[in-house]
Formats: sequence, C-alpha cells, structure tokens
Amino acid sequence: MKSKSDYLKHSPISRLPAIIYIIFLFLPFLLLVYISFHVTIHENRWTSVHGSSTYVGQLTLLNYLHVFQNSALTASMINSVTFVLLNILITIPVALLAAYAFSRYSFKGDKHLFFGFLVLRMTPPVVMVLPVFLLFSALDLINTPFAIALAHCLFNVPISIWVLESFISAIPKELDETAFLDGYSIFRFFIRILIPLLAPGIAVASFFCFMFSWVEVAFARILTVTQGKPITMAISALFSYITDVGLVTAMTVLSIIPGALMIYFVRNHIAKGFIIRQVS
Amino acid sequence: MVSVKSTNNRAWFLVIPALLLLGFVAVIPLLMVVDFSLHDVFIITSKVWVGLEFYIKVLSSSRFWESFGRTLFFSAIILFTEIPLGIAIAVSMPKKGAMVAVCLVFMSLPLLVPWNMIPMIWTGVLNILEKSLATIGIDFNWKLNAFHTWIAIVLMDVWHWTSLVVFLCYSSLTTIPAAFYQTAAIDGASRWDVFRYIELPKMRGVLLMAILLRFMDSFMIWTEIYYLNAGGPLTWTMFLGIDLGEEVLAFDYSPAATRGVIYFIIIVAVSWMFKTALAAHKSDNKYGKKITVDDG
Repeated sequence: MKSKSDYLKHSPISRLPAIIYIIFLFLPFLLLVYISFHVTIHENRWTSVHGSSTYVGQLTLLNYLHVFQNSALTASMINSVTFVLLNILITIPVALLAAYAFSRYSFKGDKHLFFGFLVLRMTPPVVMVLPVFLLFSALDLINTPFAIALAHCLFNVPISIWVLESFISAIPKELDETAFLDGYSIFRFFIRILIPLLAPGIAVASFFCFMFSWVEVAFARILTVTQGKPITMAISALFSYITDVGLVTAMTVLSIIPGALMIYFVRNHIAKGFIIRQVS
Repeated sequence: MVSVKSTNNRAWFLVIPALLLLGFVAVIPLLMVVDFSLHDVFIITSKVWVGLEFYIKVLSSSRFWESFGRTLFFSAIILFTEIPLGIAIAVSMPKKGAMVAVCLVFMSLPLLVPWNMIPMIWTGVLNILEKSLATIGIDFNWKLNAFHTWIAIVLMDVWHWTSLVVFLCYSSLTTIPAAFYQTAAIDGASRWDVFRYIELPKMRGVLLMAILLRFMDSFMIWTEIYYLNAGGPLTWTMFLGIDLGEEVLAFDYSPAATRGVIYFIIIVAVSWMFKTALAAHKSDNKYGKKITVDDG
C-alpha cells in the first residue's frame, strides 16, 4: 500500500512556506551563535590578571569556557533542569488521572470543568506572582526549585490534561473494558497497560511542560530571592554597567540545547502518536 | 464520530488531584488578587477596604481604553498572521523521512529561548536590518517610527511563536489516514480541495487551541515589548501588559491587582467567544473534541 505522501504531488514550490520560514527562523540564531564565538569585551582587569590577551572581534571559545568557570551559571543550569524535571513529575501523574476521566466518562459538569481548567491558564502571571510568593513563603518553600516546579503547574497542568486527553481518546475504549473484565484494578490497569501505550502522549505532554517551564521568567524571578536561581535569572544577572555580551550569548546558546535534544527524541511521537486509532 | 462515554460521577475522584493542585497554585492566589483589588494595600499587614474604587478609576481612565484598543489590535494582527502562516507551514512540511526531524528541531528553537533574551537578540537583528535597509535607501527607523516599531514587534512575535501553531497543526495532519488522500486522488480532487475538505476540518479542534493559546499570550505580552522599545515611540506600543508591569514594578499593588482581575475577565470572555464560535462547527477532531463538541 502506498503511503499518503505518494498521493500528494510535492513540487519544491509546495514546500516553499516551510523553507522560507526555516530560513527566517535561522537568521537571528546565526547572529546569536556568531557573537557567542567572538570576544565582545575590551580587556579588563580580570583578563589581564588571568594573563589572556584578547581583542574585541577575535574568534574565540573563551565565552563558553567562562560559562563553565562561572559557578553561578553552572549552578543555574542544575537548578533549571531540577525544577523542570520536578514539574514534569508533578504535572504528568495529576494530569493523566484527570485526562483519563475526561476522555472515558461523562460526569456532572465535565465540560465546564474542562474549560475551567483552561481558564486558570489565562490568569496574568505578573499579577499572580505576589500572592503565590506570599502563599509559598508562608509554607517556607521559597528559594527552592520545588517552589518554581509547583508554581508552574498553574499553566502546565491544564495544557497537559488537554494533550493527554486527546491521546487517551485515540486508544480504543474496548481495551479498558477487557482489562477490567480480566480483573485489573484501575491502578494496575494504568501501570501495566495504559502508561506503556500512552508513552508517546506522555512524551509530548512532557515536552510542552518543558517548553513553557524552561523559559518562564515571572515566577522564576520572585520565587528565587537569594538562591536556586534558574538559567533565565542567571542570564539577567549578567547584565551590568559593562556587559560581556559574548558570555550572555554563549549562555543562551547552551540553554537552548537541552530542549532541542528533547524535541529530537519526541519527534516521532508528535508525528505518529495517534496511529492506534486509525488501526481500529 | 464521538464515542459513547459511560456516565459515571465517580470519575470526579480522578479529577480531584488536579483540582487540589490547581486550587492551591491558581484558585487561592486568584482569590487573593481579588481581595487585594478591593483594598488599598499599604503593606501586606495593613490594608483599607475601598470596594470598587480602583475598578472605577481604571475603567474610567482614557489610558486604559487606549491600551485596550492597541492590545486588541495587536492580538488580532498576531492571530491573522500566525494562524494562516502556521497552517501553511504545517501543510507544506514533509510528513516522513529525515527532514521531519530537521524541521521540528529547527522550529522548536525559538520556543526554547529564555523570554528575557528574545528582545536582546531582536535588538541586534533589527539594528542589522536597519543598516542593511539604509544601504539600499529604505528608511527603517524601528525605534522612533511608530509604524516601523509595529512591524518590528510583529516580526519578533511571528518569529517567536509561529512554531507552536505549526506543531499543533502538524500533529493533527499526521493523523489523517492515507486512505483519505487515496480516495481524493481517485476522485481527481485538486490540492486546494484536499486542503479545504480533508485537512482543514481535521485541524479545526487543534486550531481552537492554537487560537486560544496565542490569544491569551499575545494579549498579556509584556517582557518582549517592554525591553525592545519600552512601549514607545511615545505610547504607540503601550499595551495592557506593559501598563500592568509598570504598576507591579512600582509596587503599586492594589491597582495592579485590579488590572489583573479586569484583564483576566476580558481574556476569559474573549476565549469563551472563540470557543462558542468554533463549537458551532461540530468537529470529530480528537484534539479539540472536548471543547468543540458540546452536546455529545
């Protein structure tokens, strides 16, 4: 059997929007990467003490070296990875249960509740930061990656419920019924059958959590007063009277890499996550 | 093609963890914001009940309505460019082969840049653009010319967020069975017919989500615009988000909370309108099923 693309003629012209878009996307990154490999700051006391003589515009790897020599920056990478992983660990199980309920059952007020969850995603973050700060400081959570992970559930849980709901709906309902007839408890059904089948959906939902959480600024700023600063805040802290733009760009380039790797690993699930339903 | 769902009110138990979590991180803070907006807060422990005074003040100021108009206009431009563009790119993307990974990875990059770095990168890009346009005699003064600033911020937002629309559309396009295309080919359908009668209906539910996400985020945009040109030239790019951000930065919390509540109500109302408008077209799309199919 021929695949669907064989039925669509693809001349290079039909690919044009995607090609032009990628070129457009690429140009600012070219500038970013270009700067990150060049010396952008005049030699100052620090560099002369360390004995390196460089000139502005020189091709260099020093910016990347400086990132790893700067303990605040390396610590911020660990902090970012920690709170994003924590956030995924909190979000996915909670969203999975809710998504399962929305997908398989109709219950009183389900449609309103579904929209209600999305509504919470619409709260302006700038206003929410103060009450969240007061609430979290009352519970002594400030300055920990856990606080940011918890706060980011505000926008990640609604999105994950929505993504997972669509993936669960793609799995035939007969599967659940057979499992329950076989005497599976709902807990065992989730662990043994649903979660393995749902791996693509969980991967995609995790990517969405990662994406919205990794780059967030407002909560990340207020919840880390003295320590536990994520990458976004560590970059902000680099701006001063004399900013080493090379260092800032090198840090930015490095901050993009984990997410790019992640999308590379979930790419097939974005494309093929729904195949199960087509079979049935 | 809505599958028959069993009615079971015990399903509420499965939703309870999500309710508790969101109750803690969203509902309680939201109620606190409402409380702040009804008081004049000097310091957290000392506040005076002022009722709706701040609401009247904000809603009767011409500055609010001007910002509101500009923000609505901005969101409209964003939706009218990013949604069709996202659809066009998703349709023209390869659906299999090595190029899929290349496309997806490249397109994800702007979404992964820390938000505070977006305006910095774009300041550099726009300066280069300004210089190169000047050499061919075109004046592009993106800092002082209001129209050019608007071009700049729209370009920046298209660069930053179109990929999200592309991903959502792309994921629903890949679910169309090959048989659909096969039948269309046998019927001699044109490329446009395939798009209009097969691909577009399939994407409808996802598009609602894309529209909602892009609407709420563009309506509240703050960081990028503020650090690019601080709402200037004059007040030509002063959006609701910037008005709010300035009050928060000035620790003027009660008026800020008032604005927050007003903005929240506006966003919910507009989102509700989108939802109802799109739900009128019934769709069997999996992604948007819940919010597009209303009465089962």
